[in-house]
Amino acid sequence: MAKTLNVVIIDDEAPAREVIKNYLKKYDYLRIKAECENGFEGIKAIQEFKPDIIFLDIQMPKITGFEMLELLQKKPVIVFSTAYDQYAMKAFEVSAADYLLKPYSRERFDEAMNRALTLTNDKPANDKIVNGILKHQDENVDYLERIVVKTGSKISIIPVRKLFWLEAQDDYVMLHSKDGNFLKQKTMKYFESHLDPKEFVRAHRSYIVRISIIKQIELFGKESYRLILSNGQNLPVSRTGHVKLKAILS
Amino acid sequence: MKHPILRRRNLTFYISAWIVISLIHVLFLRFSQNIEVLWAFIDSLVFNLLYAAFALSFWYMCKSISIENLKILKLIENHGAAAAFSSLIWFGLSYALLMNIFPVEENYRLFLRGSLVWRIFIGVLFYFLSVAFYYVYIYSVNFKKQLLKEAELKTLVKEAELKSLKFQINPHFIFNSLNSINSLTMSDPQKAGEMTIKLSDYLRFTLSKNEKHKTKLKEEIDSIKLYLDIEKVRFGDKIEYVEEIQDKCLDAQVPSMILQPLFENAIKHGVYESLETVGIKFSCSLNGDYLKVVVENEYDPETSTQKGEGIGLKNIRERLEKTYSKGNLLKIEKESNVFRVKLFIPIVEK
Repeated sequence: MAKTLNVVIIDDEAPAREVIKNYLKKYDYLRIKAECENGFEGIKAIQEFKPDIIFLDIQMPKITGFEMLELLQKKPVIVFSTAYDQYAMKAFEVSAADYLLKPYSRERFDEAMNRALTLTNDKPANDKIVNGILKHQDENVDYLERIVVKTGSKISIIPVRKLFWLEAQDDYVMLHSKDGNFLKQKTMKYFESHLDPKEFVRAHRSYIVRISIIKQIELFGKESYRLILSNGQNLPVSRTGHVKLKAILS
Repeated sequence: MKHPILRRRNLTFYISAWIVISLIHVLFLRFSQNIEVLWAFIDSLVFNLLYAAFALSFWYMCKSISIENLKILKLIENHGAAAAFSSLIWFGLSYALLMNIFPVEENYRLFLRGSLVWRIFIGVLFYFLSVAFYYVYIYSVNFKKQLLKEAELKTLVKEAELKSLKFQINPHFIFNSLNSINSLTMSDPQKAGEMTIKLSDYLRFTLSKNEKHKTKLKEEIDSIKLYLDIEKVRFGDKIEYVEEIQDKCLDAQVPSMILQPLFENAIKHGVYESLETVGIKFSCSLNGDYLKVVVENEYDPETSTQKGEGIGLKNIRERLEKTYSKGNLLKIEKESNVFRVKLFIPIVEK
């Protein structure tokens, strides 16, 4: 039969993992390399074992299945499962991903496995699906409450309320927060539309700033301005940024 | 409703309008009636000043005679009489003022006497113009108010709908529990059976209650135990439950389904969001005229979304307030990593 494939199961409920293990018994060419209770363990296991297929629950403590996926560079084939989450279900549907609704039957599981096995031989198709889901999530999430970042092997959760200002750095955005600075692979445009405009303002092409930490706007040369933050830091302001700031601060 | 004209901005406009009318009045007397300029001015001043004051008082007429509740005939009758009456008084007063204060010359006196009919006509016309203005104003204000009221009503209805939804059990809980049962059928059929019974009992209890009922605290606690047992199957030893219940509390009457949202919250923000074991503490005691119920859970204030009074707790607060006509029966406390809700349920003698 086929070559051996590695599998990782990520679900915060032990009985839910048991179901998967049980249904997987007949696939003797699959090796279950790890069982994870949350996204942190999940990331670690994926990096260590480089599985071909993962089983991923969406609602988990601290970071959701989607947030975990966002942190992965190489995406394995994913069999999603969820109990009830219209939000997640929509994401699967628009990206034509297969997903299991708990509780699910053995037949339904086998069907999902067949699809997953086909996808293990079709990397581009798999990437398209996973990226489709993440894109849909990005577009449909309201204002962010937290941002999950990975620095080396360390995962940090930054609550948005601790965020001071953001700075564009090539393909990344540097998040300056109360807990330190973190790089996140996202665009400024993404953050501009996902941070509450009542709290944050895009002051410049490369800067988004928390309004409440702005101390003053200072004239800097002819017709150009700079922002002075309450910690003394100063940041450039673009012309459109200045118009926005004036409207907000007045 | 306040007088629409007696406000600084509107008053300026009103006075300017009357100045224009007065000037037209002067021109009319001078060129069409051949009155001397001085007398034309005096005439205009007296008549228009008086009417400007009169017209302000018509507002109170309009406010007391509503167009919505009165028949059209009655309305014309009322305002017709008021128009005629006020015009007569207007003419009489102006006439008396002019004759008594100013040394009126013969030519002008004759003109004044002969002007009665057309002045009354103008008085009535002005009356109806003012009344029409006031009614349009009243109508527009009422219309705006109504729009606002409708919008308010809509949000109220939506809130009520939302509340009734929140009162039901979280579908997430049901489906995950069923998934656990599915798992147990393979690994431990005996336990699968037990869990099925527990879930059924819990659902039955929940479905049989509604917001209006009261139940014995004991029944509420029994259902909470079912709920916790089910969650323990899902999360194993991640839940560390401690209780401290005075026996004498058990017979107290409490609003039904008052504990469920507290425990759902504790599990949701504590257990669902934690990587480690989470302590949940439950205590009931009698304090004078009150039954004191405390539910507390450990949580991570750094990453938690448990900020304060969510819709579940707000709903409980409102229910307690409505049921006992007393405020402050729910208290929320946050201490480093503990979230605590206290209920004070008045003991009502039967």
